[in-house]
Parts: sequence; C-alpha cells; structure tokens
Amino acid sequence: MDISERLNVPSTGEEIEPFLEVTPQLVQQRRSQGRIIFDRFIRNRAAIVGAIFLILLFLFCFVGPLVTTHNQPDQIHVTDVAQTLAGPSWQFPFGTDDTGRDMMARAMAGGQVSLLIALISMFMAVIVGVSIGAFAGFYGGIIDTLLMRFTDVILSVPLYLLLFVLSASFTDGSPKSVILLISFFGWQYAARLVRGEFLSLREREYVLAARTIGAKGFRIMFRHILPNAAGPIIVNATLLIGVNIILESVMSYFGFGIKPPNSSWGTLVSDGQGFFDVDPLLLMVPALLIFFTVLSVNLVGDGLRDALDPYMTER
Amino acid sequence: MGENLLEVQDLKLYFKVKAGKVRAVDGVSFTIKPGEKLGVVGESGCGKSVTALSIMRLIPQPPGEYAGGSVLFEDQDLLDVPESAMRKIRGGQIGMIFQDPMTCLNPTMTVGKQIGEGLRIHLKLSGDQALKRAIALLEQVGIPDAATRVNSYPHQFSGGMRQRVMIAIALACNPKLLIADEPTTALDVTVQAQILELINGVCSEFGTAVMLITHDLGVVAGMTDRVVVMYAGKVVETAPTGELFANPRHPYTLGLLASVPRLDEKRHSELRTIEGAPPDLLSPPPGCPFMPRCAFARAICRTMPPLELVAGNSSHLKACWVNVTDPNEQAYADRRRKARLEATQVAISTSADVTLQQTS
Repeated sequence: MDISERLNVPSTGEEIEPFLEVTPQLVQQRRSQGRIIFDRFIRNRAAIVGAIFLILLFLFCFVGPLVTTHNQPDQIHVTDVAQTLAGPSWQFPFGTDDTGRDMMARAMAGGQVSLLIALISMFMAVIVGVSIGAFAGFYGGIIDTLLMRFTDVILSVPLYLLLFVLSASFTDGSPKSVILLISFFGWQYAARLVRGEFLSLREREYVLAARTIGAKGFRIMFRHILPNAAGPIIVNATLLIGVNIILESVMSYFGFGIKPPNSSWGTLVSDGQGFFDVDPLLLMVPALLIFFTVLSVNLVGDGLRDALDPYMTER
Repeated sequence: MGENLLEVQDLKLYFKVKAGKVRAVDGVSFTIKPGEKLGVVGESGCGKSVTALSIMRLIPQPPGEYAGGSVLFEDQDLLDVPESAMRKIRGGQIGMIFQDPMTCLNPTMTVGKQIGEGLRIHLKLSGDQALKRAIALLEQVGIPDAATRVNSYPHQFSGGMRQRVMIAIALACNPKLLIADEPTTALDVTVQAQILELINGVCSEFGTAVMLITHDLGVVAGMTDRVVVMYAGKVVETAPTGELFANPRHPYTLGLLASVPRLDEKRHSELRTIEGAPPDLLSPPPGCPFMPRCAFARAICRTMPPLELVAGNSSHLKACWVNVTDPNEQAYADRRRKARLEATQVAISTSADVTLQQTS
C-alpha cells in the first residue's frame, strides 16, 4: 500500500512540496567563515578608517606618480635660491625643499621605498618565523630547544644597537640591504607565536585523525595545522608592518638605512629637520605620513584580531 | 597462520611516568579474520583505545613504550616495519574512526578535501579524481546532495553527518581493517543506530574487517561476530558473541552483563554494579587484576591465570581459575558478597556513631 493512501491523502496530482532540510539552498544561506570575519571587521569603525587610509596611501604613493605631474623627485624645479623652501602652492602642494625639489614627488617616492621595505621585510620575516616556529612546535624535543634558544639569543640582543652596527658595516644604503636587515630582526615574535599555536594545535584530534590516514609530517604541519593558526599569524604580520616602517625610518634618520640617491620617509625627516625653523612642512610631511601609516596599520591589526577571534560574540 | 588478518600477540604497551610505568596494555592477544567483526569491550581506562592506537603505532613515544609482543597484520609485524611503510598501512590498509566527530574533522578544510586526502596520499589520485571519488563515498555513507555538500566545511554538518564523513574518510582507500573507537559514544541514540547500521552495511559490502571498541554491550550484541572482554589492560575473556552472552565464564563478564539494566526488571529496584574501582595500572595487583573486586576470589587468584580454552568449546577462552558455573563456587561467591555487605553496613553505622559523638 502506498503511504499517501494509508494517510488518506487524496492524490490529486498536486505538486509535492519538497522537504526543506535537504535542499542545498538552505545550507548555502549560512555565511561562510570568511564572510563572518569580513562582517565583523566592517563593523569596527576604527579599523575601517585605518583600512581606508592605507588604501588611499597606497594609491598616493604608487598610482600618484603615474597620474599626476609629481613624478620627478630628484628634478630641481626652482633654481632661484631665494625661491627655494617655498610654501604650499598649486604647483607644489607640499612646497619645495632647500634645493628646490618638489616635496610631493619626494613624499611619493619616499613612500614607495618605505612601504615596499616594510611589506617585503614583513613577508620575509613571517615566512622565516612561521617555518622556524612550525618546526619547533611540531617536532618538539631537541629541535624545539635548539630553535627556540636561538630565537631567544637574537631577542636578547639590544635591537637598535646591533641594527646600527650591522647596517654600518653590511648595508650599502640600498632598499634590498635594508629589507634583509629588518627582516632578520622581525621573525622572532612570529616564531614564538607560531610555536605556541603549533604546540597546542598538534594535540588536536583532527591531527591524530590525519595521522591515521597516513599523512606525513609536512602535510600535517602545513595543510592541517597552519590554516588553523592563520588568525594570529595574520594579526602579527599586520602589526609587523608598522614596526618595520618605524625601524626603517629610524635607521634612515640616523643615516644607517637608505642613503642617497634613494630616499625614504626616514631620510626626508632627516633632511627636513635642519629647516624646521624656516619651513616646518619639510619635517612635518614625512613625519605625519609615518605617524598616520603606523597608526592605521595598528588599527587594522586590532580590527583583524577581533574579527579573527573565534570567541568574539556577535552583537 | 595465514588465515588471520590481524594477530595481536602478547602486546605490551607501557607509559613511562615519574612514578613508574603505567601498564596500559599488558599482554593483550586476539585475532581478527578477514571480514570478521570483533567487539572489544571493557570499562573506561581498561586499555581499549590504547590497544587500538598501539596497533596503528600512533602512541607518542615517549611517554609510550612497547614492552613486548607483536602485531601481525597479514603476517607482517607492524612493530618492526619502518615509519614510511607504516604510513602506507595507515589509511591504506587500516582505517580508523574516532569517538568524537566534532573534533576529528579539520575545521579549515572542506569535507571533500579531507576525504580525498587519503586517496591522494595512497592511490596518488589527482585532485579532480579524488573529488569525484569523495562525492561517490559521501553518497555511499548516506549524505544527500553529495555533489554540493562535498564543498561544505565540517561546521555546516551535524554530529551524525560528521561521523558519516569520518567513516567515508576511513573507508576511502578500501582498507582491509576498520578500527572504530567508540564511534557512537558522542551521538544521540537515534543517530547511533543509523551509524552502526552504516558501518555494518558498508563493511559487509566491502568485506572490511571491523574492530569495534565500545563499552555498550547492546552495540556488541547487535553487530559483532566475536567479543574480546578487556580488564585492566588484559584480555579476560573472548568468545563468539552469542556464546559470550549465553554462557559468560569470567566473573568480570558476568558482572558486566548483570549491570545492564533490563526492561523486565521491577521499577525503582536498585541497579546492579560491580563493586569497587579498576586497579591503578601504575601498580596492578600481582595476580588476577579483577581479584580485589571479585566475589569468586581465592588464594590461587594471587597468581595470574592464563587465557585458556573453556572446557568443551574450541572458541571460548577465559583467564580465570574458577569455574563460575559450579554451584559450590556460586554459593561461595554469595557468602563472600553477603559478608562484604555486612562489613560495609557495620562500617557505615560506626562512622555515623563517631560523627554523632564528635558533634555532641
């Protein structure tokens, strides 16, 4: 006997309503993990302000020289000595420096160098830090001890002192050498963080389950554990950008980092310092750019930290 | 002995701790034939899960330490093979399901990737092929709309469905043996039945042997061909399922069976338990580990009885000196139980007196 007959439902050939549970549409309505994180980030106003500022800053530094006329940072526009150190005008919105160069073009070019150095050395530091932390945390034992004591040794060296000593003897003032130097001093915190994450995550049951299907150490480390540690690593990487910008500026300011013909925000501050009485803009422009960039990076980092925290409850 | 798929002989696995050695698995022996369904029962902490993990060589060493014995899988001693060969066996030849499907799936990988991972490792399939096979496997374990669901993440699945996914992962490479470590403990009763049905059906279809670890005697009765009863890291009795339930020969098995609540019992009558607690495996009693709790215990129990055939049955083994079917022995056990009860009552009343005196 048919079920519909037993239930005394008249079979009128009416279209059957499908059961709702099994339709995929209902399941797909749930937000994905990425979407949840994005929504949480959007709701954080400070982080959004920071993110927007960073986007505008990138456009200013990297697209600005292409679409505006401020693309000749080394060109001496004002040859009349009396007219150098000019204030803001339509032609030179940030004025000109002591040799008559366009400050806006110099700020853009310096920003390119500063931002690139910060970003690339962040990536290098994170890659090194994650690898070292992952090996130490996953294998433990003697490997852990060796790697972590090495990390501790580097952390215990006075950072700026060694940075200045090393840069005085090893770098040639090019961005590449500064990147190498800064990334060498940036990976330790990432390594410690990742080691801690791996120490706790390797005890998870899904790691044991991955072992039972015959996965090798590398696969478990980078396919199973690393994605689960992504949140803290991303936050750390973001904050590291700010730290790197400051490090680069400090080095360049003291003349250990970027050297002419290259320029960065740090060298601009250093150059402008001597003319503070006459033309404070020369100092203020690069200094404020550094200040707001680092502030925005930190705001974004804090926003990401909250957005990636699985224990954050949504209101 | 080519007829056995898995042959565990006198397996000993100890955990080294500060205070000494915890004898988690202490001389366990059993066999599984191809396609056979073996149940392993015993109370919490008696070494069931450690036995399973030590077969897979997944006990971290240290603190774990193999103290002897052998695990013959298709006549190859798994305790001797190098780690690389062992990785091929894990997942490829022996699959495993764990207790809690909520924590056993990686939250950052789609279920399709997780099912396909074993296929890519062992059968060297490409991503596309693995995904296709994953869809087929998901259908086989009864997940509707598998082609869409294969791209879902574990958090979009319910507990029962996740356990189905675990089964699909474990069976992906068509292993010869499936070790299921309490696969239904974390699930509610209606889902339990479905999952057991599924394991039973799929394994019968593929001819996979099953080692089902559980403390639920109902599960064992419904699904297994043979049962191993473990206590304190030792096998105390093993028999075909029907025989064990009809004719238990070890006092511990008797106790386990007696403590299952029955529907025909009088309501509000006290549930029966096995008195006492399992021994501390750091320093187990020298003889039979069950002796301190056993009503049948005698002086001879201070030496460990061997696991021997029960008279008149070629497949029923027990590790006990006493013949529990003997009426004399039963009368002796009753006398001991009564004496113990009286002793506890006396102890309770005197302690009450003492407290009364102290308060007054």
